[in-house]
Amino acid sequence: MDLDSNRSLIAAALNRIPAGDRAALQTVYRLTSAKLFGVCLRILGERAEAEDVLQEVYVTVWRKAADFDANRASPMTWLIALARNRSIDRLRATRVNRNMAPIEGATDVPDTTAGADTALESVQEHARLHGCLDGLASHERAALRGAFFDGNTYDDLAKRMNVPLGTMKSWIRRAMIKLKACLEQ
Amino acid sequence: MSDTLDHSGLPEDDLLAAELALGVLEGAERTAAVQRAARDRAFALLVEAWEQRLAPWAAEIREVAPPPEVWDRISSALPAETTRNGLWHSLNFWRGLSLASGALAAACLAGLIYLGTLAPRQALVATIEGGGQRHFVATIDSVRGTVAVVPAAFSADATRVPELWLIPPDGRPRALGLLRADQTVVLALPPELATLAKNNAVLAVSLEPPGGSTTGLPTGPVIATGKLTSL
Repeated sequence: MDLDSNRSLIAAALNRIPAGDRAALQTVYRLTSAKLFGVCLRILGERAEAEDVLQEVYVTVWRKAADFDANRASPMTWLIALARNRSIDRLRATRVNRNMAPIEGATDVPDTTAGADTALESVQEHARLHGCLDGLASHERAALRGAFFDGNTYDDLAKRMNVPLGTMKSWIRRAMIKLKACLEQ
Repeated sequence: MSDTLDHSGLPEDDLLAAELALGVLEGAERTAAVQRAARDRAFALLVEAWEQRLAPWAAEIREVAPPPEVWDRISSALPAETTRNGLWHSLNFWRGLSLASGALAAACLAGLIYLGTLAPRQALVATIEGGGQRHFVATIDSVRGTVAVVPAAFSADATRVPELWLIPPDGRPRALGLLRADQTVVLALPPELATLAKNNAVLAVSLEPPGGSTTGLPTGPVIATGKLTSL
């Protein structure tokens, strides 16, 4: 099955959920749960917590599927944001962040081969984001990576990279401004 | 919306949206930003735009199959099933056919029961129903290793085809083959599946793209199910 038909299959199933179609939720689950479980597991670092949050995510999909608008977002964007947000909420609630190893600027390497697993997102979108991330300073990229993949707060990142909190805030803000400008080119 | 500019040129709201989407906020700051996104549409759209910019990064995260019990927990957390299922609700015209199709299905079932009496020891039958309609009647002949499926009230869909699945007590669906709305189909039942086709195993029909599911699992909606019982 090609990428576009998979994407439209997920979008079509999401659109059937508000009418109470449980089989549609199951379809969404079959097609997306491995990716979303990977996201939860990456942020939470612990299987039992990640399983709990994954359950919350799909129960939320069941309740909020009417909010998904295929004209505005791709279904995977919507689902990944939901999984990240729920995982981050859980991380903040438990106050135990397992991903706190010091970050050196030089150890800014992806944990898996870039683009190795793009089954559900467009390859071009990933390549474009990567191109723009490559244009950032390595300390900026490392800070964004810690936030996106490890669910780190400003405070966590300042500790991991051993800089004052104010410095971390301006690194992140500057990095996001550069990223947006690059992606809009 | 505030249009205060940061020293570097992005509106403060856009930066706050970026921070929320990235996940660096915590405590009261995060709560305030989440609440604002819930009531301020313009701000929510800024957050969505940032989520969209960042989401492709998730391609680097390895997929991990969750254990099967997670789905069971999700399924039991959903509200009890209603009869006003979306698919069936949209197919109102079927209701007019219900009397005729019911009679037809009953006739098919009677025929299968009659056939079944010829080989009473090995035959299993399932009436495959959904949305208050009987769609197919299936008979398994475990000696010959076949499943015969007679259409009752199944109405074809222009874009999707019905696919038959065997769901043994382990809950994992096994593909049996594609069905027809207009004629009886006899499918082969390999020995490893024949041993799973027992009393109380379930036959299910899902709607799949032409050619059937390519994933080994149903990808479209399961529209009808029926329990196997010995004749």
